[in-house]
Amino acid sequence: MKDNNNIPLFKKWNYWYVFVIAVLIVLIILFYWITKVFST
Amino acid sequence: MSQLDWIILIITLVAIIAYGLYKSRTSKNLEGYFLSNRNMPWYLVLLSIMGTQASAITFLSAPGQAFTDGMRFVQYYFGLPLAMVVLCITFVPLFGKLKIFTAYEFLEERFDVKTRAFTSFLFLLSRGLSTGISIYAPSIILSSLMGWDIFFTNIIMGGLLIIYTVSGGAKAVAYTQRLQLIIIFAAMFFAGYMIVQLLPQEIGFIDALTISGSNDKMNIITTGFTEDGYNWKDKYNIISGVIGGFFLALSYFGTDQSQVGRYLTAKNITESRVGLLMNGLVKVPMQFFILLIGVLLFAFYQFKPQPIFFNPVQQEKLLQSSKKDSAIILQQQFEKINNQKEIALKNYTTNKEQTKQAIHELNASGEVIKANYKKLFKTANIQGDDNDTNYIFLRFVIDYLPKGLIGLLIAIIFLAAWGSIAAALNSLAACTMIDFHKRFRKKESQDIDETKQAIKDYRYSKLYTLLWGVFCIIVAETVVGMGSLIEAVNVLGSLFYGVILGIFLVGFYMKKIKANAVFIAAIIGEIAVIALFILDKNGTIGLGFLWLNVVGALLVMLLSVLIQKITK
Repeated sequence: MKDNNNIPLFKKWNYWYVFVIAVLIVLIILFYWITKVFST
Repeated sequence: MSQLDWIILIITLVAIIAYGLYKSRTSKNLEGYFLSNRNMPWYLVLLSIMGTQASAITFLSAPGQAFTDGMRFVQYYFGLPLAMVVLCITFVPLFGKLKIFTAYEFLEERFDVKTRAFTSFLFLLSRGLSTGISIYAPSIILSSLMGWDIFFTNIIMGGLLIIYTVSGGAKAVAYTQRLQLIIIFAAMFFAGYMIVQLLPQEIGFIDALTISGSNDKMNIITTGFTEDGYNWKDKYNIISGVIGGFFLALSYFGTDQSQVGRYLTAKNITESRVGLLMNGLVKVPMQFFILLIGVLLFAFYQFKPQPIFFNPVQQEKLLQSSKKDSAIILQQQFEKINNQKEIALKNYTTNKEQTKQAIHELNASGEVIKANYKKLFKTANIQGDDNDTNYIFLRFVIDYLPKGLIGLLIAIIFLAAWGSIAAALNSLAACTMIDFHKRFRKKESQDIDETKQAIKDYRYSKLYTLLWGVFCIIVAETVVGMGSLIEAVNVLGSLFYGVILGIFLVGFYMKKIKANAVFIAAIIGEIAVIALFILDKNGTIGLGFLWLNVVGALLVMLLSVLIQKITK
C-alpha cells in the first residue's frame, strides 16, 4: 500500500489529528452544556 | 405483521443479496478476495468500518439503553477519536508498508511464528464465538416479539449473507455495507421523526427532552465520582469512556482483523487514514442520535401506557408461573401509575415545574415496581432474559409505527446484523487462510504453478468463509435458551482485546523485548484478565469491563519487561 502525499483538506496530517481531537473536545463541552440545561 | 410489511422486508433483504452478488466480481486470488485488490476509496473504507462496528444490537440496544439508563452510554465512545489518531500515526503506515493481509503477520516479522499464531488464535476464538452470539442476540428478540421460530430466525440472520460473502469476499462486504448503512440511517431518522410526531400536539421536541431530562435521561456527561470517591464498578462515565474506551477502540481497530481487514482494502495509506479519521469525527455524534431516539421514546411513554416489561414472551411465562398472583398485583400498581402520569401531564403546558416534579416522583415509584417485577423472574425460576432493555425500541416499532415502516425497521435489524457478520466471516476466513493454512502448509504444495496455486487458495478461502458461517450459526443455535447473552458480546471482546493490544504495543514501542518474553507475558496476562473477570462476576472485586482492556494491555507490557530482564 503506497502513500500519496495529497492530504485532503489540510496541509499536514498533524492538523487532521488536532482537528479530530478539537471536535471531540467541542462535543464534550456541548454535551456537558446539554446535560446542565436539561437535567433539572 | 401486515402483508405490506412482509413485502418490504423481503424486497429489502433480497435486494441486498442481489446487490452483493452483483458486486462480487473480483480477482480470483487472495488479494482480490480478502483485500478487494486494495483499491477502495476512503468513503467506502469509512462506511465499511462503521458497518462492521454497528451490529444489530447497536440499533436495538442503544435506544433501550438511553430509555432505562439515560444518554451516558455515549461516553463509551469518547476514546474512539483518540484511538483513530494513534492508529493513523503508528498502525496504518506500518501495516501499509508491510503489505500484510492480516494484522498478525506483523507479529511474526517483529517476534516469531508462535506469537503470531497465538494472537491469531485468540482472535479466531473470540471473534468466532462473539459472531455466533451476534447472530443469536437479534434473532431471539425478533423471534420473541414476532413469534418466529428461533431456529429459522438464526438461519436467516446468519445464513443468507453467506451467499454474497462467500461469493464476493471483501468487495461484496464493503459495497453491501454502504447500501445497508444508507437504509439503516434513513430508517432510524424516520423512526425518531415518527416518535416526535406521535407525541401530543402541544408537546414538541424540546418539551420531550425536558421531560426526559427531569427523569435523569439527559445525563450525557457523568464523572463516576460518588461521595466515597471514584466508582470503579460504574460502566459509563467520562473517565472510563476516555481511558477504557481508548484502549478498547485502539485494540478493536488496530488488532481485530474484522476492522484491520476493512482499512487494508484502501487504495493507499492516505485513504485508510482519512477513512479512520472520518470515523473518529462521525462516530460520537452518530451514537448520540441513536441514543436520542431512546430519550424521545421515554418521553413518548410518559403520554402512552408503558408496558411493565417489554418482552411479551417472558411476561407470558411469568403469568403462567407460581408467581402469577404477585405479577398481576404489580402490573395493576404499574397501570395505576401510568394513569396518574396521564392525569398529571394534562397540566404540563400550564404548570411545567410542578408537573415535572410529579412525573419524576411517579417514575421513581414505577421503577421500584418494575424492579420488583423483574425479581419475580428469578424467584419463579423462569429461564431466559430478565432484562427487557433490548426489546424497548422494537416493541414501540411494532405497537405504534404504521404499516410498511415496521417491515422496513425489521429489515434494518437484519441489514445491521449482516454488515458486521459479513465482515467478521471475511476476517475469520482471512486469518484461517493466511495465518494457518498458507503459513503451515507442506512445502511441496508451494512448488506448483503460481496461477494454479492462487486459484486453489481462492477456493480454499471461499470454503473457509462458508465453514466459519456454518460454525457461527451452530454457536447461535447452541446458545438458545442459555439466558442473557447480549452483554456477553461486549464483555467477550474485553477479555481478549487488552492482551492482544498489549502484544502489539510491545511490538511497536518496546524494541528490546524478544519473542519469548512477550509470549509468556501474553499467556500470564490472559489468565490474569480472565481471573479478574471471574472475581468481578462473583462480587469479590468491583471492576467495570472496560477496565479489563486497560489492565490486559498494561499487564502484557509490564510483564514483558520483567520477563525479558529475568531471562537475559
